[in-house]
Amino acid sequence: MGSSNMNTAQMAEQVLDQVMSAGAAGDLIIDEGETISLKARDGELEEYKVSSSRIFGLRVIKDGHIGTAYSEAVDADALKSLVGQALNNASFVKVESHENILPNSNYLKTDDELLCPQEQVSIDQKIQLALAIENRLATKEKVKNVPYNGVQDTFSQRHIFSSAGLNALTRSRMCTAYAYALVEDGEKNAMQGSSQVSRLFSELNPSLVIDKTYEKCIGLLDGKPIPSKHYDVIFDTECQVSVFGVFAMMFSGKTAKDGVNPMRDKIGSVIADSRLTIYDHPLNTDGFGYHLFDAEGTATEKSGLVIDGCLKTLIHNSATASYFGTNTTGHASRGPKSTLGVNLHQVEIASSSDDMSTLHSGEYLEVTDLAGLHSGANAISGNFSFGASGYLCQGGERIQAVRGITVAGNFYEMLNKISMIGNQQHWNEDRTALMPSIRFSDVAISG
Amino acid sequence: MLNSQTAESVIDHALSLGADFAELFIEKNETNVVSTLSTEVQSVESGINFGIGLRLVYGNKVLYGYTNKTDKDELFRIASVLAAKDLRDPVSCTKSFNFNQMTDIHPAQKILSVDAEIESKVAYLMSADRAARAAGEKISQTRGSCMQREQRVEIYNSDGLHANDRRHYIRAHLTAIASDGGEQATGSWNDGGLLGWEIESSINPQQTGEAAARQALVNLTARPCPSGRMPVIIGNGFGGVIFHEACGHLLETTSVAKKASVFHDQMGEMIASSIVNAVDDGTMTNEWGSINIDDEGMATQRTQLIKDGQLTNFLVDRIGAQQTGFARSGSGRRESYKFAPASRMRNTFIEPGDAKLDVMIASIDKGIYASHMGGGSVQPGTGEFNFAVTEGYYIENGKIQYPVKAATLISTGPKVLKEISMIGQDFSLACGMCGSISGSVPTTVGQATLKVDDILVGGNA
Repeated sequence: MGSSNMNTAQMAEQVLDQVMSAGAAGDLIIDEGETISLKARDGELEEYKVSSSRIFGLRVIKDGHIGTAYSEAVDADALKSLVGQALNNASFVKVESHENILPNSNYLKTDDELLCPQEQVSIDQKIQLALAIENRLATKEKVKNVPYNGVQDTFSQRHIFSSAGLNALTRSRMCTAYAYALVEDGEKNAMQGSSQVSRLFSELNPSLVIDKTYEKCIGLLDGKPIPSKHYDVIFDTECQVSVFGVFAMMFSGKTAKDGVNPMRDKIGSVIADSRLTIYDHPLNTDGFGYHLFDAEGTATEKSGLVIDGCLKTLIHNSATASYFGTNTTGHASRGPKSTLGVNLHQVEIASSSDDMSTLHSGEYLEVTDLAGLHSGANAISGNFSFGASGYLCQGGERIQAVRGITVAGNFYEMLNKISMIGNQQHWNEDRTALMPSIRFSDVAISG
Repeated sequence: MLNSQTAESVIDHALSLGADFAELFIEKNETNVVSTLSTEVQSVESGINFGIGLRLVYGNKVLYGYTNKTDKDELFRIASVLAAKDLRDPVSCTKSFNFNQMTDIHPAQKILSVDAEIESKVAYLMSADRAARAAGEKISQTRGSCMQREQRVEIYNSDGLHANDRRHYIRAHLTAIASDGGEQATGSWNDGGLLGWEIESSINPQQTGEAAARQALVNLTARPCPSGRMPVIIGNGFGGVIFHEACGHLLETTSVAKKASVFHDQMGEMIASSIVNAVDDGTMTNEWGSINIDDEGMATQRTQLIKDGQLTNFLVDRIGAQQTGFARSGSGRRESYKFAPASRMRNTFIEPGDAKLDVMIASIDKGIYASHMGGGSVQPGTGEFNFAVTEGYYIENGKIQYPVKAATLISTGPKVLKEISMIGQDFSLACGMCGSISGSVPTTVGQATLKVDDILVGGNA
């Protein structure tokens, strides 16, 4: 039978039957997606992109050897080749006694109404939104153009099957609007952007993106360096989420197993200021990091990673948990093209007691843009040096726009240099992390 | 990969919907990655990507869709969906396909579709690991990888073009980790090219391991970097990433046409120091950023971007040519069938000069020698860039004093081009991946060691 006549479950069954016939166990991830993407320029639609994709990613375990393979071709020959490649790849790899296919035969499915709501929206409405964002921004004072902008509507589906009988399905929808504007005033210029995501297209608010992008551009137009010294620093939500993201491997059981996580031997130790509490909260349905189960089909739950400054746990899949003699924390990650790893789902930092006026007292630097996040950081040592822009502030007022500076230090040391934590949490633009403002003291700024 | 009758009927259909231009890009891409962690094979991953991208152009508007399916009905469906808002009477008709068999100027021998050579790659990485560990007791771990890819592309368009190409990519990488108590530092080495595993004969595992270990051990002893404005010597090879990011992207019509580049109206102007000559060249034999044809089917070429400081050419794809009036340069590239092509760099470098490193160092009272650069980012509209130094040294009184860590270089592309005062003789190239509007494509950067008179160095000393 040709695979074109089979549905996804039948193809998965065929693949996993071949795996088991070869004396192996395995799991298969099938990712499918459809996207409409629109971009505008000079009042006209510049790009209209429609796409549909499907990819199969197989992991096999035979005699303790693990192999992976993937394919975007899904005819019968391609699927047979997929199994053969994964088994062949496994034959070269070391025995990994801790990695197994979990004895999980559950049928799992996320709530489509929650994660993948439907609505009647015409393509014309989407085009009009893309045009409106570009046009309304482009006609604002000092805006030279809006070179990067767009509207997207993406439907994604992930289906996980295993030889143990796991059948897990999640569908999600994400609508996005974004814009980057270039403003000029004589010799001065600035380019900044912002975005918004929602599960319903009708909930996208173009004014939010337009106003935020324009405010960021105009605000930094007069930016200049400030004298080099150590300042108190408050990152805005986007920047703060990015910085914590760069060093997220500090929670990884995988990097600990591999011997490159500096927190490996610090579970139970104080690693941060006592007011810092960090959770991973995959079940917060308000966020786009929501996960009901992980890549092994393990149910997720809210995990306390750092409580009152003390490191409580690393995040694990079943293999890293087995290695450390503990239980999986429901953080298994795997894409169709990758091996089993771990990943945080949705980071949440608990709010503390400092209100806005306390947090913003005296002189501090508000950092609103960071550059070189990955190239400028060493997650193993904690050292970082990023390009930055923002505002020098006094008592909550922005007194000077700042550009052309670097912010540098050691992230792991900085966790102990927290002077205040705000009492209100904020989502980042992608809605994948929820954090209050944190004021770090004594941060090296070069201007 | 797609028969010409199907291609012709799809393109005919697209033109019948009123498109000015229609193009099919068919791609099959096989990949194999061997990864090691110290003395063990961590994983072997392989796979096949396959799909077809369909581009319709109405005026300056680009409509793009893709699918994993090859049947005519699906391709017709995509064309119809794309054109639904732009339907009009036909304005052009398909010319007969003229198959253009390009000469392969980047021959490869040990190719993936014949043998992945996994045992040989494992042996190479294991030898490199042993060499790294032998370089010092403080080398605690290595991570190695060999990636091999074979990309077949076939392009049809309504101008009658039918072209294909087979590209063989190979890249090897080793990271060494040095540990001393609670301190850890890394060093890395990598090389690659548009060829097969025969690259093995030119990448000595002993040198691979020693180079990664040496850098890790230097960084283990590095001190916090002084900060402020100062002269900086930027090392050869991957040091060219600054020109690539801070200037090269601004010369792509992708940003020029949108006036999102500070250089968009400066053709023929002096945009750099008069000692600067810069080139983007897709024809360099077996180099990582080379191609035979671009992803629009045009033979690649060598493009002189800057001559004696004067801007002489942009990098131009089909749409860029249409929008700016500059001639195409064989620079239309894309990561895969999932992206419409855009003007992109290939092998981009500053040509060598005649200065010597010791003279450059001797000319500096207080400054930095950034012998190895890491990645960074650039804001195309303003030219502001930020790059990490992965191996650097503090210079005082004309002499190297000590290694520094966590250093970052900040400036703008236009400013740094004019601040280049000395260019050395030790020209070399280095490979990397470049991400932009049409995805991530292999590119080479390069230069000889050069001196920039004034740049902001970020550090935490």
